[in-house]
Amino acid sequence: MSGEYHDDEHEHQSAWGPHDWSHGAPHNSWAPIIMSIGVGIFLYTVASVYSWGEMVDPASIPLVLLGLIITFFGLLIWWRQDASFDGVYEPRATGTPFQNIQIRKVAMWMFLMSEMMVFTSLFSTYMRYRLGLTPCTEIYESGSWIVNSQTISSGEAVNCFLPASELIASSWFHIAPGAINTFALIISSFTIVQALRWAKKPVGTVDEEVRRKRVYRYLGSTWILAIMFLTLKMVEWFIGFYIPEIPFLGIQEHDIMSLVNEGYTIHADHYHPHHGWDDVHLAELAAANPDQFSEYFANIALLEGEYETTDAIMMADIRVSASTFFVTTGTHGAHVFIGIIGLTYMTWKAWIGGYTPQNAVSIEYFGLYWHFVDLVWVLVFPFFYLY
Amino acid sequence: MKIHSRSIIVMSILFMAMAFSPLVSSFPTGISGVKDSGCNCHGATTSDSVVPTLDGLPEVYNYSETYEITVAFTGGPSTIGNINLGGFHLWASDGELEILDATVQKYNPSEVGHTEVGNDQTTWTMIWTAPASDKNIEFILHTNSVNGNAGGGAGSSGDEWNRITAKVSAPIEVLEQANPYVVLSTLIVISAILLVITVTYIFYRTNPDSFNWKTFEPWISEWLTSTDHKKVGTLYFLAGLFFLGVGGIMALMIRIQLSVPGNDFLTQDQYNQFFTLHGTTMIFLAAMPLINGFANWMVPLQIGAPDLALPRINAMSFWLQPVGALLIFTGVFSGTGADTGWTGYAPYIVSETAHVGTTMWVAGQIMLVASSTLTGVNFLTTIAVMRAPGMGWMQMPLFTWSILVANLMLFLSIPAFGVGLVQVYLDRVIGTAFYDASSGGDPLLWSHLFWYFGHPEVYVVIVPAFGVISEVIATSARRTVFGYRSMVYAMAGIGVVSFIVYGHHMFTSGMSPTLRFVTMLTTMLVAVPTGIKIFNWLKTMHRGSLVYRTHTLWALGFLVTFTLGGISGMFFPSMAMDLHFHESYFVVAHFHYVLVGGTVFGFFSAIYYWFPKMTGRMLDERLGVLHFLTAFISYNGVFWPMHRLGVWGMARRHHTYFISTEEAMGSLPAEAAGWNMFISVSAFLFFFSNFLLIANMIKSVIRGKKAPADPWGGWSFEWMTSSPPPTPSFGHFNHGEWVDLPTLKDANDEHIANDPSPLVKWFQSLMVLDDENEEVSH
Repeated sequence: MSGEYHDDEHEHQSAWGPHDWSHGAPHNSWAPIIMSIGVGIFLYTVASVYSWGEMVDPASIPLVLLGLIITFFGLLIWWRQDASFDGVYEPRATGTPFQNIQIRKVAMWMFLMSEMMVFTSLFSTYMRYRLGLTPCTEIYESGSWIVNSQTISSGEAVNCFLPASELIASSWFHIAPGAINTFALIISSFTIVQALRWAKKPVGTVDEEVRRKRVYRYLGSTWILAIMFLTLKMVEWFIGFYIPEIPFLGIQEHDIMSLVNEGYTIHADHYHPHHGWDDVHLAELAAANPDQFSEYFANIALLEGEYETTDAIMMADIRVSASTFFVTTGTHGAHVFIGIIGLTYMTWKAWIGGYTPQNAVSIEYFGLYWHFVDLVWVLVFPFFYLY
Repeated sequence: MKIHSRSIIVMSILFMAMAFSPLVSSFPTGISGVKDSGCNCHGATTSDSVVPTLDGLPEVYNYSETYEITVAFTGGPSTIGNINLGGFHLWASDGELEILDATVQKYNPSEVGHTEVGNDQTTWTMIWTAPASDKNIEFILHTNSVNGNAGGGAGSSGDEWNRITAKVSAPIEVLEQANPYVVLSTLIVISAILLVITVTYIFYRTNPDSFNWKTFEPWISEWLTSTDHKKVGTLYFLAGLFFLGVGGIMALMIRIQLSVPGNDFLTQDQYNQFFTLHGTTMIFLAAMPLINGFANWMVPLQIGAPDLALPRINAMSFWLQPVGALLIFTGVFSGTGADTGWTGYAPYIVSETAHVGTTMWVAGQIMLVASSTLTGVNFLTTIAVMRAPGMGWMQMPLFTWSILVANLMLFLSIPAFGVGLVQVYLDRVIGTAFYDASSGGDPLLWSHLFWYFGHPEVYVVIVPAFGVISEVIATSARRTVFGYRSMVYAMAGIGVVSFIVYGHHMFTSGMSPTLRFVTMLTTMLVAVPTGIKIFNWLKTMHRGSLVYRTHTLWALGFLVTFTLGGISGMFFPSMAMDLHFHESYFVVAHFHYVLVGGTVFGFFSAIYYWFPKMTGRMLDERLGVLHFLTAFISYNGVFWPMHRLGVWGMARRHHTYFISTEEAMGSLPAEAAGWNMFISVSAFLFFFSNFLLIANMIKSVIRGKKAPADPWGGWSFEWMTSSPPPTPSFGHFNHGEWVDLPTLKDANDEHIANDPSPLVKWFQSLMVLDDENEEVSH
């Protein structure tokens, strides 16, 4: 704002060079204070809309949006002042051991260090619960949850850990969104490097129009892959998809349900797990101790006509399992979303030919972040999707 | 004129946001539960046609006498023949309510309501026993008139309710007791107004002739939007001092409550909030901003950098803090502040029993975590890459080293806390089950995430004070600091060890004896680097020629109190001692000795040391010495007796205590009352003695002596610039390049004269120099 001042008093040189790294753009910025207020309003109002998992005050939803809009408005100001479309100025380190390395590159590495700790903490939470709680399958197969005197509706839910992979890895179709996403992210890491490579080619060795096209196409591909990632994630979490009949593969027409439709949610305190669990053992138990289980199975037969007697129904409280799954993958998704915001700007900048060998390094900064997000996914995928 | 319209748009958006935020009806229970804002009544509408009555109460009660009271109402949709007729809820501020029959149920001694059996009535009777002491009693009655539609009492449409209050006086008239919330809110508002007046006055003093909005608007905009490290540093500094005052006010209210046994100035519930917010405010809103204030000011100056590496990120770090502070205090202003303790232990923090303000406390903390992370990125980058040419790691001033170590610790530990906070926020808001024990969640996981951060955090606030003391003692002793290298390694050692000691906060959680033993040893290990530092400070003074300035006095005071705090700290790693002293005032004494006697004294020393550099004005030495003497004595008066109280068994975090001449469980010997009163009086003295500092600063800004560039004879880079330093602090910017930056040769060789170590040289040789035109090869 004050960069627009034209009186001498405010035409002072900024303490840290020109602030959009290319020309004498403003030194002062309203962005920090506006963004802080926006974030504050957002956190405040979200907690007034929802409380303990229930929507208590839908009237506050506009205020949540107001918070987001103010934050985004602050971001726009920041963007306009700091992220130029044709900058060439990159300050470099003076001190050892990073001498002559771009300062912002060092800052990005430092930032990734704290990001590493964020995901480490999330994984610690996950491992504490995954290793500390008894797996639902183990309890199910032991039959210890069956108490003869109780009916299904009065049945106590068992606290156990049900990894999302029980559902996701149950069939090739269920795992498809996650698997495709994995490759999408890996390919997007490749495309971002290609964009950097083309942007960095020295002037003269490549036609400028070719450079522009290559850079924006590679950045655009990265953008599309990132969008695809989040779309597939929504499909996997909320929407599900439809499989037509494929006769030559012997596949029947059926729906692949999303996790939420399967009942795998953070509120699932009476979840009914049934995916491919081995109930032979239960049948043996029932055969050996008919007195102990007869009433229970009779109840099932009464309530659920379609069930075989051995299809006993265990109620599981899987809120902890679902919380770790959704929050960890959700945090990763939020990182992808932030990446999309950055990529939108970069693709646009590349479209108007903003990248030159001098400022191509900013693609590298983003690339560092993007590789990190990719790397986290490579860990999230086996931990949460496969095993 | 363009700028004005732009500013007005921005301002109006901000004001709109501020105007909207309070409208958010985030707490449907109202500000403090059913007694104030309504009942669990059917139907949302109050109606004057419902007339509640409350009979049988005397005007003036007799001690401990019982009264039969009758609650009734007339009017509303309630007519004979309805399935249900009505209900009520009665709250009494004191005395005990007792039920007479099955139509009434007792929720707790101060609240009764109707039962399901009592649904078909319009009058109910119960017993109230007057208290045995003099109190002003208030009764609040809600009655609900029910039309009984939809059968079974399920429907609530068309039902109406109303409310009356009644007052009963004591046999001996008592004055209305002050509401602590009102006291606190009033004091905070008064402090804020004083702050605004001071700011306005300072603006007036800068140029008395142009005291108008036209010049004020750009001036204040400059402060709100500045990214200059010096201005942001000053803002941090102001915020830190402001919240030091607010935290101090809360401490005083805690001390009023504890000054006599069995006091009831604060209720249990209020006491919980006050100590929670006292801790949170002092650590996160006072100590941390003060550190950042000095770090912002001095680190770039000390390493010869023009500014921080990421100035706008720096401004963002700052502005997240006041907004986060607002969120943290939201609950207190509405009487439902966080009551979890600054540690916010699960499962209480994710239980509905914890006040709704806890959610906002968590949200505010999340913003502070974001702020600290950004600060960490900024300072680590700045110190790593922007040192003046020739200044190796081992030539950096010790204060910069301390900020590097502190930020590294903070940076690597705070994400764990942040993730824990987000989990708690999600638990409380969208209903995840991270810490819900009924779903298998593990409350101890929170303790792990918290203390993995919490223990490095306490070193984060003390290590910068080490840096300050090293600077001050070396300058005052007129010689280089003794054992520079060992000072650095000691700080780095504290940084490393800080991550493996946090188990000692969980000794009583039932952790494995093996791990207890390990953390016992690692915790004791902390004494080694700390001892090295104290030895080095003493050795620096030994055979130096010590000049006694105010900052020197504070540094010497620091040496005494911090060492005492360190010694009492050595009781806790020992498991047997820890189990005994756990949750007692001995703990309170210990951490106040290191946090006040260490951190705050270090900051006071830093204020007296660097104030001339920051403002270009000298502080008054006589006022300074007076401040030191009064504060040092009263400070010890506050915290020294707490050791004794702790050994006697006075419990921490309890809103009151009782004395007894008998050996009764949980009671203290009679002398404890006297000592507590002594502590409270000393606390008031300590609080008000610090106004000498404020007065000193105001006096100095108005008519202080002009400060020379190097008033104390310091050697590091910051003393090479003028006081106050120009903007940019060093060099200037010319055609995209910095020119005239200082080099190490410009500084006194004697102070910082070490060659880079072989390890640094080796690491340096590994770093590939990046050439602009180089083809990237991934």
